[in-house]
Amino acid sequence: MVHTNKSSALRLGGLVFGLLAVLTAIEFTFALLLNLWGVLILIALVKAGLVGYYYMHISRLFEADTDLNHESYAYKLVTNRLGLWLFLVSDAFIFGGLLISRINLLGLTRPDLNQLLGLGVTSVLLCSSFFANRAEVSMSHGDRKQFLISIGTTIGLGILFLVGVLGVEWRIAPFGPADGVAGAVFYSMTGFHAFHVFTGVVFLTIVLRNGLRGRYSVEKHWAVEASAVYWHFVDVVWLFFYPALYLIGNVR
Amino acid sequence: MKKLLSLGLVRGLIWEVFGTALGMGIVTGVRALMGLPPWKEEPAVVFGALLGALLFLYGVGVLDDWQKWARGEETHEPVDESHLGWRRYYSVSLDHKVIGIQYLVLALILMSVGGVFALIFRAELTETGMQFLTPIEYNTLMSLHGMVMIVSILLGVAAFMNYLIPLLIGANDMAFPRLNAFSFWIAVPAGIILLSSMLLGGLDTGWTAYPPLSVRAPMGIQMFLLGVSLAGFSSILGGLNIITTIIRLRTKGMTPFRMPIFVWGALATSLMTLTATQLIGLSFQLVMFERLFGMGFFDPAKGGNPILFQHLFWFYSHPAVYVFVLPGLGMISELLPVFVRKPLFGYRWVAMSSLGIALVGFLVWGHHMYASGMAEYLRVPFMYSTLLVAVPTGVKFFSWVGTIWRGKISFPAPMMFLLAGIVVFLLGGLSGPPNATVSTDLHLHDTYYIVGHFHDTMFGGYIFPFFAAFYYWFPKMTGRRLNEKLGMLHFWLMTPAFFVLSLSMMRIGLLGMRRRIMDYDPAMGFQPYHLAMTIAAFLIALGILVFFINLIWSARKGEIAKGNIWNSRSPEWQVPSPMPMHNYDKPFEVVGEPYDYGLPGSTYVKFQEGE
Repeated sequence: MVHTNKSSALRLGGLVFGLLAVLTAIEFTFALLLNLWGVLILIALVKAGLVGYYYMHISRLFEADTDLNHESYAYKLVTNRLGLWLFLVSDAFIFGGLLISRINLLGLTRPDLNQLLGLGVTSVLLCSSFFANRAEVSMSHGDRKQFLISIGTTIGLGILFLVGVLGVEWRIAPFGPADGVAGAVFYSMTGFHAFHVFTGVVFLTIVLRNGLRGRYSVEKHWAVEASAVYWHFVDVVWLFFYPALYLIGNVR
Repeated sequence: MKKLLSLGLVRGLIWEVFGTALGMGIVTGVRALMGLPPWKEEPAVVFGALLGALLFLYGVGVLDDWQKWARGEETHEPVDESHLGWRRYYSVSLDHKVIGIQYLVLALILMSVGGVFALIFRAELTETGMQFLTPIEYNTLMSLHGMVMIVSILLGVAAFMNYLIPLLIGANDMAFPRLNAFSFWIAVPAGIILLSSMLLGGLDTGWTAYPPLSVRAPMGIQMFLLGVSLAGFSSILGGLNIITTIIRLRTKGMTPFRMPIFVWGALATSLMTLTATQLIGLSFQLVMFERLFGMGFFDPAKGGNPILFQHLFWFYSHPAVYVFVLPGLGMISELLPVFVRKPLFGYRWVAMSSLGIALVGFLVWGHHMYASGMAEYLRVPFMYSTLLVAVPTGVKFFSWVGTIWRGKISFPAPMMFLLAGIVVFLLGGLSGPPNATVSTDLHLHDTYYIVGHFHDTMFGGYIFPFFAAFYYWFPKMTGRRLNEKLGMLHFWLMTPAFFVLSLSMMRIGLLGMRRRIMDYDPAMGFQPYHLAMTIAAFLIALGILVFFINLIWSARKGEIAKGNIWNSRSPEWQVPSPMPMHNYDKPFEVVGEPYDYGLPGSTYVKFQEGE
């Protein structure tokens, strides 16, 4: 299942993270200077592609089965991956619906939000994805200590993101949910996303707890992989929500 | 008492009551702490209902294994529960056959409830003027008839998919048995919450719940929206399970184009439930938020857009009708060859037509909105995409006619329902294009013509094939046959009456009878039609009653069905009835085409030799 050695896998994760960080910086600077939504969407798509391919391992769905016995762990693992991805596809439709609603209701305007805070929470979430990847890579190479540290860091960053959005942004935003359509869009989009972050934190915490008790091995750690893939998916959603809420269009 | 509490359903209901009270208490307490007036009915009831549903799932025990996984404990594989007898149907079971029957019973219960609603307001419509219903009662019954029936159809579709798919593809169970149980059990509180809207002031929006009307409707609408959202989860997770099962658990030799055709229909249906259902959930939840928090999504005064709701809503609700009919149409294709003893005509085309309908079905939602102020340039593209649906549907009709052509036809009860299904669906299909064409739809929109067309497609695409499947597979489920004479009585009571009903609907619709209204002008001369429709509706109900009597009687005393009673090639009929606990003790291999009836020397499945 694992074709590369550990250090090269970790290096790849770091490289992808670097690319994502650079792209986010470009995105942010670009949005400050020019009002071209097409470029911002293109950058978001590239970032989503990087996360989907290198962090979520979408290509694993198309690997041939190593064991054709339907009851074997290897066969069930591939089935589980398919099930998880179908769930993510389904979930993507609800976020897609929210994005469509935002486009329909706000068009090329955006809510009046704190730019630095937006960039801050986005960076926090990107870092958490880096650590989630690190946790999964460590586990699949049997480095339990590194796995536990990384997953703990992911949880911490996830909670920090929630505090940033729900605790700070929701408080300092100059409008409430009932104040016009911008408020409705902002609170519903961040609310739906924060709920997914919250469930992701719960999932990761369960994985951390079972990891501390030594329930996972190099061969059998589907829960670690699943929690990481789910976490990256939540990150991918934010890759689109961030420009949609903070960068595209003029302030209303 | 202890015996009663051993039933998961009873424990679940107790927890649901407790959860509802707890949720209402939490909202009241939080409001008091925030310095607001503590009691506000709407948020308290909504949160209570939601928490009640969650605690129902906890109480019924469907989360047990997941809790064990979260704690890092081992779970055991499903055990043989047959010693529990009927009791296992009231508790969580991971066996797809038990879950299928649980779905089936819940679907029949909801179908009866929705049918009784229809009978009540149908009786009210017999005469002009208001006889025995108040306007809000009429509106509530009319709205709930729509949605209760839709949920019932979703559950009925799930029932047959759950029961049959693993049998047809030679699997021992679904890919995710625990998720499967969860999908069923979440539908129970969903149904309870949906029906509880009657006790909370009802609703007056019709099943579509368009804002701004739904934002101003009585509070029952909240329970309606929440119940449908929860039922949506059932449908989404069920679809996920079906797709994974079909892709991953087929037996050796079952290549995609050797799958039974019903499996193709189920695959197409599940692709739609998996994805599109999220959008009706979203649209309904946004209305709930608008009511609870004053968020102005659909309120023009706040910059919102009511048309947006209709786009989100119909993006699911049009594909939904294909969700309802594709398994039924698959059922027709599946069973016709058995009763005409001939191969299915154009197997590959039929298989692809299901996927074709599903694909095109995603692109047609705007045809519901020609008259609602949607951007005008969208009308023509939606018109053509809608008319395109006729092509794959036509493929199915050609296949059915080609299959029946010069066959050795026999006419037992399932075949009668299949043939009626084909005719009724043809009527429904042909009455569709006038609604899809902009120029005619502007006249037909919101009339009884639409109601007639819709009931034709639902009866032809779901009700008739559903009953055919019931008469066909009931012996597999119970080991006993349904009584043939009562089956024929059921058929002859229901079918002519249904034609009277739907043709009268279309007729007065063309003449200008509006849908959803509770009263009409005596000068229009509609009373004779309404009288005929009411009588027909009661005759259909009588037919269904005969069916229920048949069901209960035959399950106890029906003729014992041993072996392959229909002389079918399908694997599930090659083993004893009722189906053994673990489906196929000896695995089988697919060695030929599924529908080569009448071809000498051809075999479809070959069971492994020896013990």
